[in-house]
Parts: sequence; C-alpha cells; structure tokens
Amino acid sequence: MSKTAFVQLLDLAAGLVLVISFAALWLRRLATVARMIAVQGLALAAVAAVIGIYEHESELVGVAVLVGILRAGVLPGLIRRAVRAGDELREVESIINVPASLLAASALTLVSYATTRDVVALSPAPQVRAIPLGIAVVLIGMLMIVTRRKAVLQMMAVLMIDNGIALVMFLGTSGVPLAIELGIASDVLLAVFILQVLTNRIRTKFGGTDLDQLRALRD
Amino acid sequence: MVGVALGIAAIAATLAMAAGCVLPERARVVWVGILTAASATAGGVAGIAVLAGSARFTANYPDLLPLGGIRIEFDALSAIFTVAAALVAVPASIYGIGYGLHGPSSRPVQVAYPLLVWSLMMVPAAGNVTGLVVLWELMAISSLILVLAEHQHNPEARTAAQWYAVVTHLSLLAIVVALLILAHGAGGESFAAMRSGAGRLGPGVTSVVFLLALLGFGAKAGVVPVHVWLPRAHPEAPSHVSALMSGAMVKLGIYGVVRVGWDLLGGGPGWWGAVVLIVGLASAMFGILHALLASDLKRLLAYSTTENVGLIFIGIGAAGLFASTGNRPLAAVALAAALLHVINHAAFKGLLFLGAGSIHSATGTRDLDSLGGLARRMPVTAATFAVGALAIAALPPLNGFVSEWLLLQSLVHSLPSKAVAVAVAMPVAVAVVALVGGLVAATFVKAFGTAFLAMPRSVEAEQAHESPRTMQIGLVALAGMCVALALAPTVLAEPLRRATVAVAGLSSGRPIHTNGVYLQLSGIQAGLSPLLLATGLGVMMVVALAVVRRRRVHHTVRDIPAWGCGRTLQTARMEYTATSFAEPLQRVFDDVLHPEIDVDVDHRTESRHYIEAIRYRRQTRDAFEQRLYLPLLGVVRRAGDAARRVQNGSIHRYLTFSLITLIVVLIAAR
Repeated sequence: MSKTAFVQLLDLAAGLVLVISFAALWLRRLATVARMIAVQGLALAAVAAVIGIYEHESELVGVAVLVGILRAGVLPGLIRRAVRAGDELREVESIINVPASLLAASALTLVSYATTRDVVALSPAPQVRAIPLGIAVVLIGMLMIVTRRKAVLQMMAVLMIDNGIALVMFLGTSGVPLAIELGIASDVLLAVFILQVLTNRIRTKFGGTDLDQLRALRD
Repeated sequence: MVGVALGIAAIAATLAMAAGCVLPERARVVWVGILTAASATAGGVAGIAVLAGSARFTANYPDLLPLGGIRIEFDALSAIFTVAAALVAVPASIYGIGYGLHGPSSRPVQVAYPLLVWSLMMVPAAGNVTGLVVLWELMAISSLILVLAEHQHNPEARTAAQWYAVVTHLSLLAIVVALLILAHGAGGESFAAMRSGAGRLGPGVTSVVFLLALLGFGAKAGVVPVHVWLPRAHPEAPSHVSALMSGAMVKLGIYGVVRVGWDLLGGGPGWWGAVVLIVGLASAMFGILHALLASDLKRLLAYSTTENVGLIFIGIGAAGLFASTGNRPLAAVALAAALLHVINHAAFKGLLFLGAGSIHSATGTRDLDSLGGLARRMPVTAATFAVGALAIAALPPLNGFVSEWLLLQSLVHSLPSKAVAVAVAMPVAVAVVALVGGLVAATFVKAFGTAFLAMPRSVEAEQAHESPRTMQIGLVALAGMCVALALAPTVLAEPLRRATVAVAGLSSGRPIHTNGVYLQLSGIQAGLSPLLLATGLGVMMVVALAVVRRRRVHHTVRDIPAWGCGRTLQTARMEYTATSFAEPLQRVFDDVLHPEIDVDVDHRTESRHYIEAIRYRRQTRDAFEQRLYLPLLGVVRRAGDAARRVQNGSIHRYLTFSLITLIVVLIAAR
C-alpha cells in the first residue's frame, strides 16, 4: 500500500467514525441509531486494519477482525435486542433538540481540535494527525448521554464513547497487543450486558426507560 | 529502666485490650481493670524514674509507620504529664471494676478503656510529629467511643459525642497544620530537629505556628472559647472515664501548648504569654461562673475543669510574659506552679468525678436538687468527696492550696516590674484568681452540702447505699494522694526543676528550694511549709476540741428540742437546694450569665388567691455556644442546603457535570 493511499484510507475511515457520531445525534429512530453504531464499529475496524496492513503487522489485522466482530456484530446485536424488547421506537423529546445538539457537537469537535494541538504537533504521522477525531467522538458520546432520555440510547452512547477511546488508542499507539484489546473487549461486553439487564429492569418497574423519571427516587 | 517500664505498660495495655475482647462479661471487667491498672502503674514508674533523675529515654522505630515512623522522647516535662495520667488511671481502673460490673461492660468500652489509658500516658512521650499525631488520634478515638458508652439509655450522649468528635477533629487539623509548617521550616519532623531548626522560621511564621497550636491544643484543654465540647462530653462518659478525661486528657492540651510554644519554638514575643494569660483568665472566670450555677453534679465538675485549666494557663501565660521581660527565675516559678497544679488537679478532679460516679450509680441521678443526706448512707464516698472539695477549694492542709499559693506568689511578686504589660496584667490576674478562689469555695460548698448533708430530697437518695469495695478503694487511693501531695510537695521540688529545665524557652535554675520541710521560692522572699502548716492546723483543731470537751465536762449539758418557730416538722422541701443556694450569686452575675428563668404558677380552680403549685426552672445557656457556634452551624447548614440545589437527583444533570468537567480539564491541561 502506498503512502498516499494509506493516508487517504486512514482519513476516510477515521473521518467516517466521527461523521457517524453526528448521524447518531441527528437520527431519531432507535433501530437506525443502533445500525449507525454498528457502522461506526466497522469503520473503527477499518482504521485498525488499514494501519495493520500498511505497517505489516499481522497482529493488528487480527485485532481489527476482532474489533469488527465485536463492535459491528455482537454489541449492536445486543442493543438491537434491547430496542426490540421495548415498544419504544423513537426518542420522543430529547433534552435539547436536534439542531442544537448538532451545533453542540460541532463545538465539541472544535474543542477537541483546539485542545489536542500540542499532541498533534508531536509527530507528523498521519495517525497522530487524526487523534482529535477520537477525542471528538468521546465528547459527542458524552453529549449524547447527557441529552437523551431513553436508557437504550444511553447504552449506545456508552458504546460510542468506547469507540472513540479505541480510535485514539489505535491512532496514538500504532499497534495494540491482542491481549489488551481482548481485555477491553470483554470489559465492554460485560458493561453492555449489565446495561441491558438494568434497562430491562427499569422498563419492567417503571414501564419505560425515560431516565428523567428516576429523579423521584432521590433521598 | 524507663524503657522497660514503658514496654511493660504497652504489653499490659495490649493484654487488657485482648482481655476486653475475648473474656466473658464479668471476667472481662475484672481483668481489664487489673491489667489497665498494671499498665498505668508501669507508666507511672517510668515517669517517676525520669523525674527522679534517670536520663531521658529516647527510642526510634522508623519502620513502625510510613512517613517518619515513631520516635519516643521521654523527658522530664513528658514525665510530669505521664505521671499525672497514671495517678488518675490506677485508681480509676480499680474503681472501674466495681463500676463496670453494674454499668458499662460492653466489649467496645472495655477495649477502648485500656487504649485510652495507654495513649494518655504515651502522647507526652512522642518525639516526632507522626508519633504525636497517631497517639493523639488513638486517644481521641478511644475517648469518643467511651463517651458513647451509654448511648443506648441516654440520647444526650449522642449529641455530646457529636460535639466532641467535631471539635476534636478540627483541633487535630489545627495541630497537624501547625506542626507541619514547623517541621517543613525546621527541616525535620523529629522534635530534636524542630527544636534546633525552629530559628530558621521567620517571626511571622513562628507566630502562626504558635497560634494554630494554641487553637488546636487549647480545644483539647477545654479553654474558652473552644470549650463547648467539654461540659457536654465529660458528664456523659462513664465516671471513671470522666475522671481520666478531666484529670489527664485535657492536661495534654496544656502539654501541647508548652511543648510547642516554649520548647520546640523556644519561646517568642511577650504577646504569646499575654494571649495565653488572657485565655486563662477568661476560662477561669467563665468556667467557675457556670459551675456555680450548674445543678448537674458532673456538669459542675466539667465546668470546674475549664476553670482549673484556666488557672494553669494563667501560670503558663505569666511565665511566658516574665520570660519575655527577662525575669527568668520568676517565669520558672510560674511554670512550676502550673505543672504542680496539673498533678494536683489530676488528683482531686479525678477523685471528685469518681465520687460523682459513686453517687450516680447509687441513686441513678446526677441532679444535685434531688440528692441530699448521702453522708450517712455513703460515708466513704462522703469523706473522700469532702477531701476532694477541700482540695479544689484550695484550702490549706490540702494539695490545691500549694499550687495556687505558688501561682499567686509568682503573680504578686512580678509587680515591681518595669514592663507595662506585666504591670497592667498582673494585678488583674491576681484579682481574677482571688475571685475565682472564692467562687470555687461557694461552688463546692453547694455541691457537697446539697449532695451529702441535710435530708434526702428524693426516694432514690433515701435508698442510696455505699458503693462496692473496689470503687471505695479507688476513692480512698485518690484522697490519700491529695493528702500526700499536700504534705510532701518538698519532694516535688527537684522533679519540678527537671521539668522546667526541659522547657527551653522558660527555664532557669531552680524555681523552688527546699530543705525537706520548707519550700523557698527562688528570687522571691516567700516560703511555705505545708507540713508545718498541716501540723499547726492539726494542733489547733485538737486544742479547740479539747477546749470544747473541757467546757462540757465543767458545765452540765441538757438536751432540749429547739424552738421550731411554730413549725412542727422539718421536711426536705424546706431545705436549700443547689439551685436556691446559688441564687444570690446568680443575681450578682446576672448581667454576665443571662440565665433563663421560668416561673409557672398554677392557681386553684376555685380562687386565684390560692396557689396550687409553683414551678421554678433556671437554665444557663453557654454564651459562646449561643452567639458563636450555633450561628456558625447555621451558616454551614445554609451552605449545605444551597449545595442540595446542585444535587437535584437528575441523572442528566450529574452527567452534564462530568461532561463539563471533562471539557474544562481538557482545556485547562492543554
């Protein structure tokens, strides 16, 4: 793979991860957002694969396959089950409306670019240049947690944050040992399992997963 | 020798804690008492050995704790306070056997008690900041557990423990900050390093260290205005613990002030002494006025502790003032007076608290207004309590007299002084000490008179019986100690010299000369022989008795009933109560104390001119609590309520907080 092709492919994949975050904020149907998270996982796997192929690291390619299976297959599958289990199809009213959240997301992207300038300046490598994208995905994931009411959406937001962290990891370290990625993967899997169980419990207890109604549980 | 004794003390205390943990209830109380008494005896022996001239004991255990490890530096100043603690702890532990068999015998109490005794003896022996703070906290926590001992029957104990816990933790904060500043500036956290390096701190920093230490240690000593925990916590603890807290624990606050201010820092400007003196004067007046009006016996004793600590602070403050004006010999006399009063107060206040405990366990009440007539029912308690009351009132053949006499001598003889501060402060101090002396006498006439004399004012007092033998042993031992300290202060002249020499900022040669019988103060034309005084008083009493006898022999005596002014019988309701006894003095100090007085008059339904019942209730609120602490607590509570608005229970809001934090951190750490 030539250097130009590598840079183009890497930027495409990493940019896709960020664009999908915006899409997830923009879309309302829960099932569609879940599909977006799956695509994001796929893009993330592509980032790992591109780096692995360019640097001839077979282990990183293996990691990419693992990431693809987990983040584009298993985890979104679990989420889809959670969506199907409830009768909620869309986020009815978020805390702030869609245009406002898109604006906020743009601002967060700016923040991430502004704050990582020193990191980017460390190395001219194209991977390092893309690190702000990962930070922006993390921040947008948090924004999604804060502004959405449905617990299922928040599960997806947690996955998005994790995707962002993984993106920074691939870009910043150029090659993660398989063991570490396995550990992280099992952590995320466990977290999603727990979240799914909790969401089900909330639903059976309160008839919905609107977290704002939990406020009455205080004190 | 000293090291071995301290080791035995530690081992005995550990065994006592183990006994408190594993043994069944009755055996537990007995063994904890015996082993703790043994531990205190060993600690006392170590202290006496140092005071009698053994070299000071130092040891270093660098691996015992992280940070600096623990250093032990046991010099004569430490020994004075360790001996004072042991002096109360041995009788109190024996007393605790009898007391615990009918009272608090639970495991936490029986484990905390030996720990308290041991830490009381070891705090003065600490030789570095880490050691001092750790031992200090052990002491604070074990005493807190003991204050809570009776919380199941007594909700008051919980409030008391809350106040105590808060004050004691804040005071620890002040102490730690003071010592850390000092250690940082001096370049070492062992006392030896701090002593030699204290000169490197600027005068401003030194004064900050001193004031923080005064605040922190003063809170433990229970001086105004940080005394609020003391009249709450001391009454609620079991009585042998109250005796330890009053007799030994508050003294460690005094130890801290002397150690940090005039040993580690090596003394400072004259206003240090003036501040301590003013705090002492205020505490003495405030304490005794509240004691005067109190009708709860243990509360009365607790306020009297504030008063006595005030007297000791007066001695230390005066010593500081004298030293700064260059009058070193007089400073040594004032310091010796203060240290002697530490020991004396330990003896008589321990005795009085144990006596109050005997009364409480015999009658179930501490309210003087419902006691009375106990002298006949509890003769040993009455006799020993009388000794304690006479001693605390500083009446001649007893020990309180000696130290207060020394204190007054040092204050009076400063007067032809060129320093303005001394010339202004000392006459005031003398007047306050004199006034306090009079009020103490009135207070303890009230306490002894209403509790032990006249007729019982309640059924409980009527059915009282003498306490068990172990408790009597504790009382008699402490009473004997009061007498011994009174008759033989000449023995203490040399130990007191060693202790004052250990305080570098105040010391000089020899404050008290003695030829075995006669005490001669150095630099002052004043002397006293307690032994001769006591003998003289004894001879006078014998002569007086003999004269009365003679008159009886020579005149015929007829017993006839006195004219009852038309009354046919005398009931307990005709007697003075503690409240009514203090009423005239309450009127005198009305403007200072502002007592709340409620008088409810119930009329008969038939006619307004006939009165069914009158209820009189007097309550003296602590002015500092009302004006300083409660408003302060109000501010804290309002701040807390305001903070609750931030925490409204919405998960989204909490998550927003973390998002904002993340962004702020990202921007700030860029």
